Amino acid sequence: MKNIFMILTSLMVLISCSKKFTFIVPQKPGGGTSIWATIVAEELEKKLGEKIIIRHIPGARDQIGFEKFHKTLRFDDYMIMVSHGGNAVSFLQENVIYDYADYDVIAIMHNNIIVSRDKNLNWQSNVLIYSLHSGTVPESLALALLIDGHNAPKNWKKRTILIKGMSQSENRLAFRRREVNITRENPAAHLKHVQGVEHAEIFFNHGLYNPLTGKFDKDPNFPDSFTMEELYKKKWGESSSGSLYNAYKMVKAWRDGIQKALWVNKGNPNRDRLRKAVTDMLNDPEARIRLQKKLGKYPWDIGENAVYYVKALYRLLNRDAMQTLVKFNREQLGLDSYYNEKRVQKKN
Amino acid sequence: MEEIIVLLLGITYGLIIGIIPVVGATTGLVALYPFIGYFSHNPYLGVVFCVAVVAASTTGDTFSGILLGIPGANSAAATMVDGFPLALKGKAAYALSAAFTVSTSNGLLWGSLTFLLLPLYAKIILKFGIPELFAFALLAFASVGFVSSKYWFRSLIAIIIGILIGLVGIDVNASPRWTFGWDYLLDGVQLIPVVVGLFAVPELLDGLRKRMKTTAIKAKDFKNQTFEGIKAGYKHWRFSLLGGFIGSIIGILPGLGGAIADWLAYGQTVAMNPSETFGNGNIKGVIGCEGANNAQKASSFIPTVLFGIPGAPFAAVLISLFMYLNIEMGSIELANDTRFFNYLSFSFLVATFLTGIICIFLCRFIAKISVVPYKHYFPVLMALVIWASMQYTGGWEDFVILLIMCIIGIAAKQLKFSRPSLLIGFILAERIEKLSLQTFKLYNLSDLFRRPIFMVLIIFITLIIVTGLKNRNRLEYN
Repeated sequence: MKNIFMILTSLMVLISCSKKFTFIVPQKPGGGTSIWATIVAEELEKKLGEKIIIRHIPGARDQIGFEKFHKTLRFDDYMIMVSHGGNAVSFLQENVIYDYADYDVIAIMHNNIIVSRDKNLNWQSNVLIYSLHSGTVPESLALALLIDGHNAPKNWKKRTILIKGMSQSENRLAFRRREVNITRENPAAHLKHVQGVEHAEIFFNHGLYNPLTGKFDKDPNFPDSFTMEELYKKKWGESSSGSLYNAYKMVKAWRDGIQKALWVNKGNPNRDRLRKAVTDMLNDPEARIRLQKKLGKYPWDIGENAVYYVKALYRLLNRDAMQTLVKFNREQLGLDSYYNEKRVQKKN
Repeated sequence: MEEIIVLLLGITYGLIIGIIPVVGATTGLVALYPFIGYFSHNPYLGVVFCVAVVAASTTGDTFSGILLGIPGANSAAATMVDGFPLALKGKAAYALSAAFTVSTSNGLLWGSLTFLLLPLYAKIILKFGIPELFAFALLAFASVGFVSSKYWFRSLIAIIIGILIGLVGIDVNASPRWTFGWDYLLDGVQLIPVVVGLFAVPELLDGLRKRMKTTAIKAKDFKNQTFEGIKAGYKHWRFSLLGGFIGSIIGILPGLGGAIADWLAYGQTVAMNPSETFGNGNIKGVIGCEGANNAQKASSFIPTVLFGIPGAPFAAVLISLFMYLNIEMGSIELANDTRFFNYLSFSFLVATFLTGIICIFLCRFIAKISVVPYKHYFPVLMALVIWASMQYTGGWEDFVILLIMCIIGIAAKQLKFSRPSLLIGFILAERIEKLSLQTFKLYNLSDLFRRPIFMVLIIFITLIIVTGLKNRNRLEYN
């Protein structure tokens, strides 16, 4: 009996020794987040001194993977969730069970979105035509504020044609063919797909959320273009405020603020080791150049800075902003949307 | 160097799956799903491998058609009609070398025209707006429904069933549609279990059922017959070229597979030789349809690459495989990716050439694969395609969907409902819904009448439907 116990114990030790860090990607291989995870894993495993496995759990618009992580996988100390901005939008406006407050953040990579328009478009009077899906909700809120100011969304339906069901690549083609007159891209994609288009010019960008001030800083990569707030002030002669603006601020800060992020369960013993490995990776000039070349020059926050950032995002959550967001989605955009009271209660 | 090794591996795999009776390019590509991730470090190598598989299997499927009387794929069924009787008369090497000569030369000719000009075609993309893409998707339905099958009404029902399955998931307003509260279906039904259920499993089971009458290539006849076959291929160049032309036209039409091109070419060859007997071993019967075979595969890449609308069932799998490599067919990024076009052309043309040479000169040895008892590779292939279907979540849900699709696939095969129609309906369901909504949101009828490409496509669709309804004497392609 003793021998059997010893053999079993040895086997368990062997199994636990062979455990490997695993990135849980809630999408199919080949998607943007999967590619990001693969590139980061390649660099991170050098600093970690261990191989990182990529495990794809796709389905139900990322819900299957995220729920599996939330319900079971996070309790395994080697499981790391890879999330993207779309998951943050779902968190705000859909009935999903995961909550970032239940996890410890390892690192986050921020991003910005650049909105461009057809040069011939007079946005103050013409009809705005653009591709609509849950990922373009922040752009819709921004346009509603620009069109109608505080009274938004008074003229929204008259002034817009929302094209549903377009993929990003179909949208790019439609913008080139001038079937839509507004398009949006992240900075790297903007440089690649929009900047060279003869009839395109930057309309505005969202800026970068600053958790210290609670405002959006100008993107140093696009110093000459307006942020939405600047454009708003230019048109309406005052700073943007009110329920719709709060909803806009919340959803864009969440989506772009945690555009890509790594999470582990609260109290995971490997947390600090992982944070140190990410810090080492980003402090290594060669690794940094390689990452920037493949992922773009976006700012990162690691460890306590990332925790501070996420806490600042949670401060933006409030009943009025979330209800306004859901109402706008349902009534103005025709998108299925869900108000989750638990989010506000949990935050409080 | 890496490219050459991958190309040779693709040719080897493609030849094997081509030679194995009833498997073909579609099933062979499906079996690659579990492994496609290995090319994520260099997606272009994945392109080389997959395209080499398509080119080699298209040539290789002739072996079992001629030697066993069972086509390696649907597309080789027409070759079998005159090829198998030739083999029974002891002229297997003659029939094979003629077939390889013709399919290789047509593959190279039409492949060159397709691939070398493909970057120029990319400019066409910008001429194709939302209404034109909508009309092109409708053209796929018209082609597959009214041309590819004798039973057009059943094809229409198959398209509708395919559309209904394809619309499961999330609608354009982000609301669940026909998911019956099952979260697994929120992302819709996945392509692989559909392809495996509709094509791979029914065909693999069919292979078990068929009795094989084996013929062999005799060593003493091999040399003479091989050169006679090559000579025959060039002697009857008109039928070869006509077959290639028919194949390339069918390939451009979205959704139509190789079988229809081969049968049309065969029918045309028969019609051009009214005084001759076919079906008893006429080499012209082999040459006509083999000309269409590789040409059709080559030109299928045009709608597939430019619009993301599959030119044939194998292309639907290819689109999905390339998605795993972050290569999106029909996108503007791809249209400007000269490296992709270079790899595509290189792999198709070189693989076609090498496969042709290998098949002609080593056919005596390769032919031995086709006489390996089917029961030996049946379990391996079955395990591979089922494994491929389980790659989505790996859970029991994948298996349930596969089972349902197998039942539909076997029933469709038995009841002669066009399976390609069902597949095209499934693939284009979401696209046709979105394109119709977008078209009618952005354009009114008078706008549409002013768009020449749109109008030409609508006229073409009308002609296909009218001709399809009138013509009742078509061969049973599926």
